[in-house]
Amino acid sequence: MMSEPKRLHPAAMIFNIIQSIRQSIFGVLPLVILAVGNDAWFYVIIGASVLAALIIIFSVLSWYRYTYQLEEDQIRIHQGILIRKKRTISKHRIQSIDLSQNIIHRIMGLTKVQIETAGSDHRIDAALSAVKMAEGKKIHDQLKYKKQMMEEEVEDVEAAGEESIAEAVAQRKITPNALLVAGSTSGSFGIIIGLFGLVFSQFESVIPDRFYNQVTEWLFSQAAQILIIFAIIVLILLWILGVLATIIQYWNFTITRYEKELFITRGLLEKKQSTIPLKRIQAVGIKETLIRQPLGLATMYVEIASGDISQNQEMHTLIFPLLRKSQVKSFLQELLPEYQYEIEGMTKLPKKALPYYLIRSAILPLIATIVIAVMFFEFAWIPLIITFLACVYAYFQFKATGYLLNENQLLVQSRTLSKDTALVQHKRLQSFKKKQHILHRKQNLATIDTAILNKFMGRHFVVKELTVEDVDKIADWYSYRIDS
Amino acid sequence: MREQPNERIATDAVKAWQLTAHLIAIIPLLLTIAAFVVSYYFEPFPYWVGIILAVITILEWGFTAFLIPKLRWKRWRYQIYDQEVYIQHGILIVTRTVVPMIRVQHVDTQQGPILKKYGLSTLEISTAATTHEIPALLEEEAADLRDQISELARVEQDDV
Repeated sequence: MMSEPKRLHPAAMIFNIIQSIRQSIFGVLPLVILAVGNDAWFYVIIGASVLAALIIIFSVLSWYRYTYQLEEDQIRIHQGILIRKKRTISKHRIQSIDLSQNIIHRIMGLTKVQIETAGSDHRIDAALSAVKMAEGKKIHDQLKYKKQMMEEEVEDVEAAGEESIAEAVAQRKITPNALLVAGSTSGSFGIIIGLFGLVFSQFESVIPDRFYNQVTEWLFSQAAQILIIFAIIVLILLWILGVLATIIQYWNFTITRYEKELFITRGLLEKKQSTIPLKRIQAVGIKETLIRQPLGLATMYVEIASGDISQNQEMHTLIFPLLRKSQVKSFLQELLPEYQYEIEGMTKLPKKALPYYLIRSAILPLIATIVIAVMFFEFAWIPLIITFLACVYAYFQFKATGYLLNENQLLVQSRTLSKDTALVQHKRLQSFKKKQHILHRKQNLATIDTAILNKFMGRHFVVKELTVEDVDKIADWYSYRIDS
Repeated sequence: MREQPNERIATDAVKAWQLTAHLIAIIPLLLTIAAFVVSYYFEPFPYWVGIILAVITILEWGFTAFLIPKLRWKRWRYQIYDQEVYIQHGILIVTRTVVPMIRVQHVDTQQGPILKKYGLSTLEISTAATTHEIPALLEEEAADLRDQISELARVEQDDV
């Protein structure tokens, strides 16, 4: 089936405009601030209107010159105002097609279509920034090799075309309550504090000095209690913002298992759908952060192989924002029966490994303590406390670390700050290393280092100071050798 | 992983590494000379800086040119099985690596001017996530291994 070259929906112009503004704002802002500082309002207005006119013309032209054409087994995209680019993406190269709608899309009944190909070169990926919902689905159905699924998930849009039914094997949805808990324990307010600081430092120069001085003076003239209360209020506000951010991001998080893929929809303002083909999943992880672990809560993620880093900056792909630890097993049984979560009989580290963990973690603060104790004895308690904390940290790291083998799966548990349990299938492990230094050899210890593919070229699972017998056991399990 | 692999790399590897070390040692040597020259023409600059640099140069040169290459060569071993490549290396930290053939994505041989002088080349084995090398093999041997591995790696690969 050949179709005529088509343009995107005119709303694509709006997205072009927004994008150009976003790109140029950082270049222009310093100029504007400079000009305003010199009272050159006239030039600012002229400059701004010229720029605006250019952006609008540019956006209209690039919309006009952007066409796509669906063919039997490929999509052809022509674009570029002066330099014409033609791109053909063959159906077989396509890894996934995601439809997503932000708030503008949703008002106008449109969708963004993102076509992702395999391989690390994400320049060959394509995104149609705005097409009619029905059109988006048509593209999806035609380019996806298995023409199935989709239809029933997009509940707030009229179902388009013929219903091709695929069996949804299992489905899980997050409840608003769980989401609330997820938000309150997310610790993302830390990030927001960071953002707050960043924004503030950007605008500090814009705030008039007089005002700034008055505020600081007022602040310092207050009693300590008021300052503390003020700080607490700010913290609570930030925390609420964090909760809101989580809720907006993961609202109605639904994960559905089809025969060969996982399908996720989420988002309150911007509705996102993504498909994870099972064969791209390299590992499944269960993460318990410091705040969530005592509450018996965990987050589930998968590591997928993909070259597309630009799309989202996160290392892993979340497959469930919050889950009781006791439910992890049944969750996997339902949605990913290929992986088993079974921690009974996990092999932990031998006792003689503990000193290595303590020394690695505490050596630097210990040196600092000695140096400071020699130079300013009365402050030595500060690094001493840090040394102590480092030891506690090392101990918990030691306690958490362990592995478990079963038929074709390796489970590795470790802790940086959060406790992380990873499940990897034998065939996903790219290589296996056993490392020993002189002391290790004397004590019959060894370190393993094995790697899987993920978004950033690879993730290494390192378990330090296992006994040699355990390492050899894993090595035998891993080895493909048939003879020996 | 209990037994070490049984193939060794070319004996000329030691010479190639030594030559590399001699060449690298020129950099601290030049710095040392510069320090002496500066302190000769420019009074306040003390002589001991040059002396310390000289000591460092000699130590660095001695270690990297005479001690390390031999130890490194002794440890370097590899073995090619039909199903996997087995490599051992490392002086203080001994690392043994298994790379399954079906995970191998491509094999390269490469040769810089120093290796070329001794007729050696390095074999590089890449998986999707990691890269491993066997340095300093005889040229023909490296080429043969490359072909052999790429032949063995050509088994049916399920994705990645």
